[in-house]
Amino acid sequence: MRILRFVLRRLLQLVPVLLGVVVLTFLLVRVLPGDPIRTILGPNATEADAAAARARFGLDRPLWQQFLDYVGGLFTGDFGTSIQSGAPVGSEMALRVGPTMELVVIALAVALVLAVVLGIWSARHAGRFGDHTVRVAALIGNSVPEFWLGLVLVLVGYSVLGWFPAPSGRVDPDTELSLITGADLLDAALTANGPAFVSALEHLALPVATLVIVIVAPLLRSVRASALEVLASEAYTAAAAHGLKGRLLLRGYLVRATLVRLPALAALVFGFSIGSTVLVEYVFSWQGFGQWALRGLLYRDYPVVQASVLVIALFYVVVFLIADVVHAILDPRVRI
Amino acid sequence: MTLLSIEDLSVVIRRPGRRVAALSGVNLSVEPGEVVGLVGESGGGKSMVARSIVGLLPGGSRTSGRVMFDGADVLTMDAAELEAFRGHGAAICFQNPRGALSPTRTVGRQLVDRLVTHRSLAPAPAREVAAELFESVGIRSPRRRLDAYPHELSGGMAQRVMISLATGCAPGLLIADEPTTGLDVTLTREILNRFRLAANAERRGVLLISHDLASIAEVCDRVVVLYAGTVVESGPGPQVLHEPAHPYTRALLRSVPDIDGRPVTATPGAMPLLTEAPSSCPFAPRCAHATQLCTADLPVAGPLAMDWSAACFHPRSGPLDDSAEPPVPAEIPPAGTVPSAGTATSPGVKESVLRIEDAHVVYRSRFGGGGHHALRGVSLSVAAGERLGVVGESGCGKSTLARVMLGLVQPSRGRVEVAGQALAELRGARLRRLRTRAQLVFQDPIGSLSPRRTVQDAIGEPLRAAGVPAAERASRVARALERMELDPSILGRRPHELSGGQAQRVGIARALVGEPDLIVFDEPTSALDVTVQAQILKVIAEVSGDSSRGSVFISHDLATVRGFCDRVVVLYLGRIVEEGPVEEVFGNPGHPYTRALLSSAPSLGAGYGGPQVELTKDLEEADAAGGCALAPRCPFATDECGEQEQELRPYGASLVACRRAAEIPALIER
Repeated sequence: MRILRFVLRRLLQLVPVLLGVVVLTFLLVRVLPGDPIRTILGPNATEADAAAARARFGLDRPLWQQFLDYVGGLFTGDFGTSIQSGAPVGSEMALRVGPTMELVVIALAVALVLAVVLGIWSARHAGRFGDHTVRVAALIGNSVPEFWLGLVLVLVGYSVLGWFPAPSGRVDPDTELSLITGADLLDAALTANGPAFVSALEHLALPVATLVIVIVAPLLRSVRASALEVLASEAYTAAAAHGLKGRLLLRGYLVRATLVRLPALAALVFGFSIGSTVLVEYVFSWQGFGQWALRGLLYRDYPVVQASVLVIALFYVVVFLIADVVHAILDPRVRI
Repeated sequence: MTLLSIEDLSVVIRRPGRRVAALSGVNLSVEPGEVVGLVGESGGGKSMVARSIVGLLPGGSRTSGRVMFDGADVLTMDAAELEAFRGHGAAICFQNPRGALSPTRTVGRQLVDRLVTHRSLAPAPAREVAAELFESVGIRSPRRRLDAYPHELSGGMAQRVMISLATGCAPGLLIADEPTTGLDVTLTREILNRFRLAANAERRGVLLISHDLASIAEVCDRVVVLYAGTVVESGPGPQVLHEPAHPYTRALLRSVPDIDGRPVTATPGAMPLLTEAPSSCPFAPRCAHATQLCTADLPVAGPLAMDWSAACFHPRSGPLDDSAEPPVPAEIPPAGTVPSAGTATSPGVKESVLRIEDAHVVYRSRFGGGGHHALRGVSLSVAAGERLGVVGESGCGKSTLARVMLGLVQPSRGRVEVAGQALAELRGARLRRLRTRAQLVFQDPIGSLSPRRTVQDAIGEPLRAAGVPAAERASRVARALERMELDPSILGRRPHELSGGQAQRVGIARALVGEPDLIVFDEPTSALDVTVQAQILKVIAEVSGDSSRGSVFISHDLATVRGFCDRVVVLYLGRIVEEGPVEEVFGNPGHPYTRALLSSAPSLGAGYGGPQVELTKDLEEADAAGGCALAPRCPFATDECGEQEQELRPYGASLVACRRAAEIPALIER
């Protein structure tokens, strides 16, 4: 009940935050040098062509009127029309968000599980060979650039071993997957399309692995550090001194106390991995959100940039809200 | 059969660049149903004994000797045997119960875990047993408490939970590591009785570890005294308490101020940190009776009587207060007869250096209404040359009162005057100048010094703030240092290089250097070792004897206050409940709260002579609804007490805020 009230309050706070984001991106994107109209018309267009195009996208009107139109559109779910493609931004984005979120969420989930299991194991074997191996491996994964790592995985997983499909697309087109959310794995599960599910899973393996290797290190270090702290704490010593058995000690006195600090970091890592996906999507021809947003920015496609920044801000706020709730559930001392 | 017998146990801890002989040839035994007290100052090896019994020695330690428990040697057990033995054989109650309870698990679950592990109960019946255990250690509404998290418990409650956790393992031996440190006198007594009960009713052996001989003396059958990792004396409780044979035991006992007003004797020096097992008597450098023999050879524990032995070549005899043989004469001058530099002031015309009128302090909670009423109308004054003691349980507003005196907290209502000027009426430079007139000596001596500053800087700080030129500063710092009997070589050191006693002397020097009109001592000795406490008390007594200055001494320890205060104020929940001359308040207390505090104060001597009064509840359980704040806990309360606010009114030579003060002696008789 208390948590529900907290969530509602935080969701209300979302309104001013998003309003701020809307105003800022609207102004900033127009301050940027570069003209979206010039990029679509090409070098041979005349001034008259440009003025006509500008009128078509409403860019000739005063700034405040453009802003009011934009905000008015947002309330009806209209994100505007892409200058580059001429298609509605809303429907374009709907196609793109699903695949990227699928990638990021699965990668983060895998990374969290790995970080917790390895981090606690590592802390319990601190200073020994296995501990050093885990830490060095995580550090190396953290230091290689993701596009290079992606290419290496493609080389090994596809070219040499042939275990995984070619890095072109997200699902085999022959499986005739019908589109619902854009997240192929979820769509396949919803439509009970077995072959598509397997195919989507195979296509996901390498990009997810790339992202996991890149983001697991900070999570693992944090888990290991707090596990070491808990192991050295008086509370854990007391439980051990009272002769509690290994499993009980691990589950009741180590794991939860260790995880207390993880949600906040995980939320940060989530934000970081949305940024990282751009390169991963390029390597695996993923046709995701990051690629789309980047192209929008390069061509100064105002509606696309505004919509993508808004959506990223929304995800950030929601993910941090989730992290706070999880933290409160894990740590009884936290009052929300 | 002996439950625990430690035979010739030595522990050496080796770390890179460091080597400590923590224990050297310790012998100790505990029988079932027996309470053994293990006493000594920090660094004496008490905790190391506890840890070696449950096989929890720190990394890098090497042991020799045997720790026999029920016929098996704990030191040679493998991991599986240890796991079974820990908890089931011997269970520790840890010193800091709140830290030793896992913060993310309900206390009920933690107890059930132990019951399931050691008593092979299923979880559901274990919960029933857990509720019974909670009830047996005096936790009210145990079922509700089972689902509480440790941070929701008060200190006393957490300690009770800790005891229930340890007994829940059904151990033969219960080890309690400083179980009452940080608890109020009223609680201390109750917690210690729990251990006596565990020995009597359940036939467990109990090893009670404490730095404070006086407080545990009553419940112990036998007492073992440790010094620098060696057993210096062991024997029956009353014998060791009243006629200790070893000079260290005597020094330890003399260092503790007693509620009956016996003067404190300080022993110079501090416990050495040994790197090798000692080859001579480790106490010899501090001992007044040491001869060449003592510095040349190690005394072995020689039996003095049945069950009583002391490791000394020249064991003392006779009762403790035989003042014919003070080790190094350094008695604290008793109150009222202060021979010091300027006793010329005629009594009667004393100007007051501090005056507080009807001060209220409310700490508002961060969001919205409510808040904590820390002081509710306190009025008092301190005259020059006067020493005022402030006592009360923790949470009664003692520290807030100290902050009000120094202007660190502005009272929301009321008036505070230092040296005749009201703090609230001044601003800027004049306020800063007035602030130098009142100084504070802190509870935590090392923590209250900046770690990045040298002693010279720390002591000179008040002078620098007052704009004293550097040359004069140096000479005044040197003078203050000399008065604290500190070597000038200490000036270049930083706080982490100081011992607790040295750091507190530096703290006092810092307060003293600006020649303030008022010094407030906020529990200045409670973080120090017993023999060091006595040294610091001596210094404070000397400093507070200056007739130009008023001193306020805040303590939860009644005995310390009795030692050298002229007047005492008893605080309860932000109100003064009793105020009067020290002899009157201690000898003929009026308020039931004062009576209860005195009754539960530990004592080696005669203790509090008056009739015993016990409060009916803990502080945190009693929520005052109005009227007298003590009413919910007071055994003499009537319905009217809960309705009327009590005001201070004369009772003998004191002022007492109790409408029934005059009737209470008669009520106790019945």
